[in-house]
Amino acid sequence: MVSPAIALAFLPLLLTLIIRYRYYFVLFYRAVLIRIWKDCVTGLSREERAYQHVLTHATPGDPDSILEAFDVWCSKVEFISNIGPKKGKILDRLLMENSPLTVLELGAHCGYSTVRMARSLPVGAKLYSIEMDQRNAAIAEKVIRLAGFDDDMVELIVKPSDEVIPQLRSDYNLERLDFVFMDHWKKCYLPDLQLLEGSGLLGKGSIILADNVLFPGAPKFLRYLRKCGLYEWRIHRATLEYSKGIRDGMAELVYQGIK
Amino acid sequence: KSKRRRIKRRDDDRQKRKRGNERRKAGTRAGDGEEDLWGVAEKRERSKRKRQKNKQETSRREKNEEEEVQVTSGKAAKARKNIKNEKTRRMEKEEVEENIEKGKKKYGSAKIGEVKEDGGKQLEKAQEVKKKKHKKVETSSELETSEEDDDEEEDTEKDEVRPECLSPEELEKLKEAVDERKKLIQGLRGKPWSMKKKLVTLRESQEFVEKYEGALGKGKGRKLYAYKVMMTKKWMKFQRDFENFKTACIPWEMKIKEIESHFGSSVASYFIFLRWMYGINMILFCLTFGLVMVPEALMGRPYGSIPRKTVPRAEEASAMDFAVLWDFGGYAQYSVLFYGFYNNQRTIGWLKFRMPLSYFLVGVGTVAYSYMVVIRTMARNANESGVGDDNSFNFSWKMFTSWDYLIGNAETADNKFASITTSFKEAILEEQESHKDDNIHLTRFLRVLANFLVLCCLAGSGYLIYFVVRRSQKFALDGLENHTWWERNEVNMVMSLLGMFCPMLFDVISTLENYHPRVALQWQLGRIFALFLGNLYTFIIALMDEINLKRKEENTVKFNITMWEASLYNGTVSENSTAPPITIQPADVPRGPCWETMVGQEFVRLIISDTMTTYITLLIGDFLRAVLVRFLNYCWCWDLEAGFPSYSEFDVSGNVLGLIFNQGMICVFDQMGSFYAPCLPALNVIRLHVSMYLQCWAVMCCNVPQERVFKASGSNNFYMAMLLVILFLSTLPAIYTIVSIPPSFDCGPFSGKNRMFDVIHETLESDFPAWFSKVFSYASNPGLVLPFILLMVLAIYYLQSTSKSYREANVELKKKLQMQNEENKKKNKQAALKAQMDLEARQTAQAAEQQRNNNASLQDQEGHQMPATRDPGSRTNNHGNHRPSGYLPGFTQQSEPRLSRVPSLQRN
Repeated sequence: MVSPAIALAFLPLLLTLIIRYRYYFVLFYRAVLIRIWKDCVTGLSREERAYQHVLTHATPGDPDSILEAFDVWCSKVEFISNIGPKKGKILDRLLMENSPLTVLELGAHCGYSTVRMARSLPVGAKLYSIEMDQRNAAIAEKVIRLAGFDDDMVELIVKPSDEVIPQLRSDYNLERLDFVFMDHWKKCYLPDLQLLEGSGLLGKGSIILADNVLFPGAPKFLRYLRKCGLYEWRIHRATLEYSKGIRDGMAELVYQGIK
Repeated sequence: KSKRRRIKRRDDDRQKRKRGNERRKAGTRAGDGEEDLWGVAEKRERSKRKRQKNKQETSRREKNEEEEVQVTSGKAAKARKNIKNEKTRRMEKEEVEENIEKGKKKYGSAKIGEVKEDGGKQLEKAQEVKKKKHKKVETSSELETSEEDDDEEEDTEKDEVRPECLSPEELEKLKEAVDERKKLIQGLRGKPWSMKKKLVTLRESQEFVEKYEGALGKGKGRKLYAYKVMMTKKWMKFQRDFENFKTACIPWEMKIKEIESHFGSSVASYFIFLRWMYGINMILFCLTFGLVMVPEALMGRPYGSIPRKTVPRAEEASAMDFAVLWDFGGYAQYSVLFYGFYNNQRTIGWLKFRMPLSYFLVGVGTVAYSYMVVIRTMARNANESGVGDDNSFNFSWKMFTSWDYLIGNAETADNKFASITTSFKEAILEEQESHKDDNIHLTRFLRVLANFLVLCCLAGSGYLIYFVVRRSQKFALDGLENHTWWERNEVNMVMSLLGMFCPMLFDVISTLENYHPRVALQWQLGRIFALFLGNLYTFIIALMDEINLKRKEENTVKFNITMWEASLYNGTVSENSTAPPITIQPADVPRGPCWETMVGQEFVRLIISDTMTTYITLLIGDFLRAVLVRFLNYCWCWDLEAGFPSYSEFDVSGNVLGLIFNQGMICVFDQMGSFYAPCLPALNVIRLHVSMYLQCWAVMCCNVPQERVFKASGSNNFYMAMLLVILFLSTLPAIYTIVSIPPSFDCGPFSGKNRMFDVIHETLESDFPAWFSKVFSYASNPGLVLPFILLMVLAIYYLQSTSKSYREANVELKKKLQMQNEENKKKNKQAALKAQMDLEARQTAQAAEQQRNNNASLQDQEGHQMPATRDPGSRTNNHGNHRPSGYLPGFTQQSEPRLSRVPSLQRN
């Protein structure tokens, strides 16, 4: 039998772990526990609940107020891994600086980032947004239309990204993508990037922005970037959306082509 | 890339300007000389291809250049083929300059922009040509690549030249050339060239020298010369090898260097400290081993001869069990490893080795040695550091000195880069905040709070240890056999666990304080130090209690023994008075508890359990974690490596303190320890040796570099200071026990004496002549000792005040230097400003003057061509001509090299 004194000696360790990883515990609580509980209680999916909140709290046709409603819901009520306001600013800045005309988004989720991007695009630009999940796509569609962006500006494609990317050239008459935003499954970052390279849609100077490369993280993607030499790339370090202590980053890649 | 090229050109241009006429002359002279020298060889062995190429070049040039230039270029071309030294390069530049002039003249007063355009076209053409010829285009400038081209051919040519078939004057010239090369190599460092060019020149010159040096001289002289050259080379090589050998002889040097390159100098400083410790412990070990353990083992009475050297009858059955041996009981307790084994015989063996004296002196000597080494190292370190002031040029320091050049690993370099960026951000923020200082109360509050929390922690852990020690005393009274292993080892376990986990908690708490990592490390060290010290002292106090208990027991045992002896005596007397005295087995003799051995055992156990915990933490906390993270990462929903558990970082502060703490214990034992357990230094040496390898391995295999890699510049002295403090604090109880507690009556080298230091008296009385002991007794008279101490205090005070005044003088001098520097800077600035003003005035005047000329020259542009001149003065004038009045000088510099490049490109 281990004596209580020895057990007490483990108290500092326990405290240390709790304090050091408190953000992760909080995140676990908010993203998993609350979600499961609410799912059982309300019978709606998380995205639907978010949409309800937005519908009741935002002004239709005003992207800013929709984004704000999302931010409030995600930081106060539940957790959805949108890009968030802080990293969103980096995204906005990149879009403003480069004013791309053809933009591809992988992983619309519930439309937050789509609205965010469409808001800062120049006139005449077109945004293709790919979402795999049917229900999420339905909500994203509603959110996008609520923000006042029509079919000419934002096109939502409901298919897995690895099916869509090879067909982009033939089906959607795309010549070149100026800007690609990746925020879908972290495991798909690398294969999709390679698909994009293979499809020839990337030209010199095309920008690819990948969210969440540090947490949850896409190690293979980063390893590939280090090795391949096709890109000029950097990581914008930030924290995870709606959470202060978890470090995360966005990788900004500028396609250089084969020299 | 193009930008870089432009900059480079500008540099070249500037060079040209700086070195004026005389260089030019020298260049031609050298060129001619070399040409003559190589004339012979050339005639003989020039290859056809070479000639063709030469023709091509000249012909191409003919198209572009006037006849006058052609002549020079022809010369230059020849020279270039043979010699690759920089003078030829200068000549080329000279041509280039002429070309610029020419270009300028041709275009007359046409705008520079057009010229640029034209230049650009030519450049493109040239690049096309170059691509065909050459693959290395990237960074080297066009000029150099063209030369390299030539070099390759040249090498083939050179191989065929045989020095034997050269005439004496050719040899003479060759020798001159060689000498020149040597001079060039020597002065290369000071030349204002780009690194690339320097390297190329260096390599070429070295090859040249190597090739022709041995060939110089003739007949006997030549052989001797060649021999001499060979020997010097051999000698140099030997010296270099010897240096390498010396580095290889420093233990673990390569390992530490490798770790340093991966983890930065702060982690490396730990390992250097570990090595230093190892060295010291080695010496301590040699002392105790050579002067105490070995003599006793060789010359002392063997095991089983007297009671203190035998296992008592009651323990004999279990004396060889592993569990007992692991606790340092049984045969281990009754061996040279512990105090109790030693006999109080004054001399042992045929050498008349004075064992008790040696034992005492070794104990004192080890402590004295530790003190001496630590203080000496501290003094040396203090000399090295403490010159710079940290506050005055904060950003400049950061800018120019923050890179750690020892880093040799991409990931660490990334981390370092990030940490420098963050440190800049923080410094800027700090600077801003220092002007605002509104948050200072919050920071202060947080710091106080953190310290409060840490104090709570310390108090809690102190109480826990106290509680455990009390409990263990209760167990001891009950008899240890009735309790489980856990309960018996509770004290050690709790102490090690607390020593392991509390620093982690401190680390977490210290993030509240928001210090610079170096400062944070010192705080952390201080706190862990307090923790360890508290633990150590609680432990020692508990031991003192136990010692007192044992001494009470001893008294009863003493009484019992006299009774036992009396009964034995009585028995023998009553039985038979003439019979020989009964021999009693030494194992059966009752004996005292021997508290010294008990203390030694406790400390040894503590060290062992501590080491075990360290290693087990290392294996579980680092290795197992690393393995899990590495292999679970393939099938986990987030990135384990970069995110949540991640790999562990190397904990410098904890490790350093563990080391210091252990050393302190060794020294407690070097009084309490090498006193009560002479095996302790040996154990420590083994421990350090193993942990050197184990930690090196663990660091390289399962730790990641710290996120904020920082230099551990001044902290080495901090370690030393802490070591000193802990040495002092741990010698205190040892001295107390030695001075105030009489040694046990039946074990150890001092048994039967009233105090341990009585050994010295005894030696003085019996081993030295009478006068010596007399002198000694006079010297130890308080009337003599007190003035001596007073004198020492005065001397220390005097030295301290002088050193203070020196320091002040140093600061003054530094200030003066700084002032002077600033004054100089100011002066230079003024001079530069004045020169600029003058220049501008002149330029405006010239521009006004030239405006009229230009108008004229515009009209007869086609026919008008100025003769190419070599006078630099006229050249600058020409520059002035074509400069619009408001044109910035920097721009012309940029555009000129672009022009200047063109002709040299076309040659390719």
